[in-house]
Amino acid sequence: MKKTPFDLAIPVEDISSCVSCGLCLPHCPTYRATQEESASPRGRIALMRQAQRDSSIDDAFVGFMDSCIQCRGCETACPAAVPFGSMMEKTREALATQTSYQPRWRRFGYSFLGKPRLLRLGSIGLAVLQRLRMVPRRLPLPKLPFVQKALIDSGSDVWLYTGCIMDAWMRETHLSAQRVIESTGAGVKFPLKGASCCGALHVHAGLAPEARALAKKTMASFPGEAPILVDSAGCGAQLKAYGELVGTEEAEVFSRRVMDVHEWLAERLEQLPTTQEPRPKVVVQDPCHLRHVQKAHESVHQVLEQYVDLIHLNDDGLCCGAGGAYATFHPEVAKEVRERKLSLIRSVEAEEVASANPGCLLHLQAGGVRVRHPLEIIDGLLTRES
Amino acid sequence: MQKSLQDNLFSDLQTLLGERARDGDFELGLYGKDGSVLEGRPSIVCLPQSTSEVQEIVKICRRYDTPFLARGSGTGLAGGAVPIGEPVIIATAKMNKILEVDLDNRIAWVEPGVLNLDLSNELLPLGFHFAPDPSSQQVCSIGGNVANNSGGPHCLAYGVTSAHIAALEVVLPDGQIAQFGDLTADGAGYDLRGLFVGSEGTMGITTRIAVRLTQNPPEVRTLLLDFADVRDGAAAVSAIIAAGLIPAALEMMDKRAIEIVEAFVNAGYPTEADAVLLVELDGLPGGVEYGVELVRSVATRHHVGNVRVAADEKERALLWKGRKNAFGAVARIKPDYYLHDTVVPRGKLVEVLEKVYRIADAHDLIAINVFHAGDGNLHPILAFDSSEKGVLERVHAAGRAIVTASIEAGGVLSGEHGIGLEKRDYMGMLFSAHDMATQDLVREAFDPDGFANPLKVLPTGSRCSDSFGQHVPDGAWV
Repeated sequence: MKKTPFDLAIPVEDISSCVSCGLCLPHCPTYRATQEESASPRGRIALMRQAQRDSSIDDAFVGFMDSCIQCRGCETACPAAVPFGSMMEKTREALATQTSYQPRWRRFGYSFLGKPRLLRLGSIGLAVLQRLRMVPRRLPLPKLPFVQKALIDSGSDVWLYTGCIMDAWMRETHLSAQRVIESTGAGVKFPLKGASCCGALHVHAGLAPEARALAKKTMASFPGEAPILVDSAGCGAQLKAYGELVGTEEAEVFSRRVMDVHEWLAERLEQLPTTQEPRPKVVVQDPCHLRHVQKAHESVHQVLEQYVDLIHLNDDGLCCGAGGAYATFHPEVAKEVRERKLSLIRSVEAEEVASANPGCLLHLQAGGVRVRHPLEIIDGLLTRES
Repeated sequence: MQKSLQDNLFSDLQTLLGERARDGDFELGLYGKDGSVLEGRPSIVCLPQSTSEVQEIVKICRRYDTPFLARGSGTGLAGGAVPIGEPVIIATAKMNKILEVDLDNRIAWVEPGVLNLDLSNELLPLGFHFAPDPSSQQVCSIGGNVANNSGGPHCLAYGVTSAHIAALEVVLPDGQIAQFGDLTADGAGYDLRGLFVGSEGTMGITTRIAVRLTQNPPEVRTLLLDFADVRDGAAAVSAIIAAGLIPAALEMMDKRAIEIVEAFVNAGYPTEADAVLLVELDGLPGGVEYGVELVRSVATRHHVGNVRVAADEKERALLWKGRKNAFGAVARIKPDYYLHDTVVPRGKLVEVLEKVYRIADAHDLIAINVFHAGDGNLHPILAFDSSEKGVLERVHAAGRAIVTASIEAGGVLSGEHGIGLEKRDYMGMLFSAHDMATQDLVREAFDPDGFANPLKVLPTGSRCSDSFGQHVPDGAWV
């Protein structure tokens, strides 16, 4: 296979921190799907090491790097605290800069995420196609609305982050989150104009400069010191990493204000209203970026347990295969990874699944199970009561 | 190998396996290593999915006069799966189905790529498990366990892998398929099953394995004992067993091990202690209660500090997670490690441990000890940074001194990791030339032409059939 020059600069202390013990392998969704070394964290690190040593790569290398879902389950499993996520991001960035890894049409697609009006227009177009039954059902799309309900501030105790696709497609979730936050007595403020995409998908794709530009716009839309609550695990993880991404004191301070909405609620359990509604049986899926990156998944459990009988999956938080844009570009692998999760979900008796990340939610839903955001489930119970 | 021959070999393998035959530069590099620091390079990697595919691969390799090497999850620590002399790698990871669970016979037929912990998790609802539990059990494969006759903490009471294998289907080095062992208690004739288990891939490749199932104990207690002096801890180990108790597991960790493990798991391991013992007792509730009190009183006589009994399954799992991740956690101190696996008589533990520390100091290296104390199976880890100039020579010299000290104390080379490539050339320290020639005869009965995992286990030159390349990789102990 033809080799091309490649300049990869991962710090030596990072790349040599892996001792190849292999304990990450069973916690890697793509290794689980393929049982191939090249689809494992240990293998990918060895490949990075080789690319760095030889200063050259081939198409196979690009494929191996591209097949990673970036769930970061390997980081939780790693006894040596190898910073795999950051190494993979550096590799993707080098690929996007030096090769045709991110062709123009894909960059164009990503740029849409930072343009809320275009996104809204596109979504209306999709909604029309959906009504005409011209969108295949297996695609992970919710039923898209023509008209969106307005987001109305109710105070200034906390900000509620809204994001890009989630706001265009799943605004109801934000409204549920708002009602649950308000039920503790707090007032919610929505972001100022200019906030849109957090840049997580750009970082995953190796488009760090684009992500930095989005980060600066986002930071400017949340002035003051009030906590910034996030109801999407993927976005929350990215907002918490702005300090690292942007590298300024201001970004560090911003990141420290960010909390997953469940983290904030879990500190106020006694303020949450009670209900006489029967407790449904709900199986909880821990989004990777909540469990392995933010390490905040237990707050979702604590909040949900106030209202439902919770069932946990015994899979050490293995990824469901959604991975942001991953399922769009790697439908086959994503489906295979999802099958493992679905068979576990089907093996327990539950009415529905709770997932605190829109990507996982849509991906699992497309697999044929009923999934809702935890706060939509809770909001539903509280609303029924009143 | 000649270029054209290699091309033809690859094209035949491709015809058999399609895209599951690989020869890409990057991918070959990935299969050049296992969990040790040794490194080689295969000529081709095959990813079969059935016994017949394994058989065909072996036959094709024979046709092209090319050696082959089976690989499981690649977590071995002795270089057993490191390819020397550009063999074809037959990776069994995709053969990962549990074929049959037969509770009447208390066995399960599994493919070699099934992961050890996956099997036990699968059996959990039935109330059974597969007893051997190497520290790498979440990732190591049953096929690899068979090849290395693997141990693990709970093998103190339950016995190592060989005791848990009823029968094996094997592709022999000449491409024939055979079954060794059967489901009866004690078959007639020579125990070829027993011979095959632990043969490190030199007698063929197992493709179906009948594992024995062990019932889950009704009661389990896990104790963490800390000691202000590592010598007291080691003495307590012998005393517990001398008192008439065989715990399910009896593990020891020294100060440095405690520190790195605690940094990973936050299980409340006492970082101020000089050593801890992790003791597990299982069985009927009354017996376990008796064992706990006995351990407590013996440990008290040996100046134990705190005795912590895990309150629940969560705490117990966390303590074990620490122990089982210890090797990987070494990277928190240094990026490379060399791990030994000698066994010494239990009564010599204190003496040999002290020697290990002295040897490491003399070679300016860090020694970390985390091991199966109950059966005297030491795992001294030498932590180092291979980018330091000349460090490998010191690591080799220190390793040799540790092995020598263990053998002088009446011990052996390996408890459970196998000989592989790493300890191959130490065999002469333990066996006479006559012993090794006899072992070689056994091996040649299975593989007279030396095709199966060549240049492993027995020292180079001791075999007439060592014809496949003499290349020994960087970092090997030769």
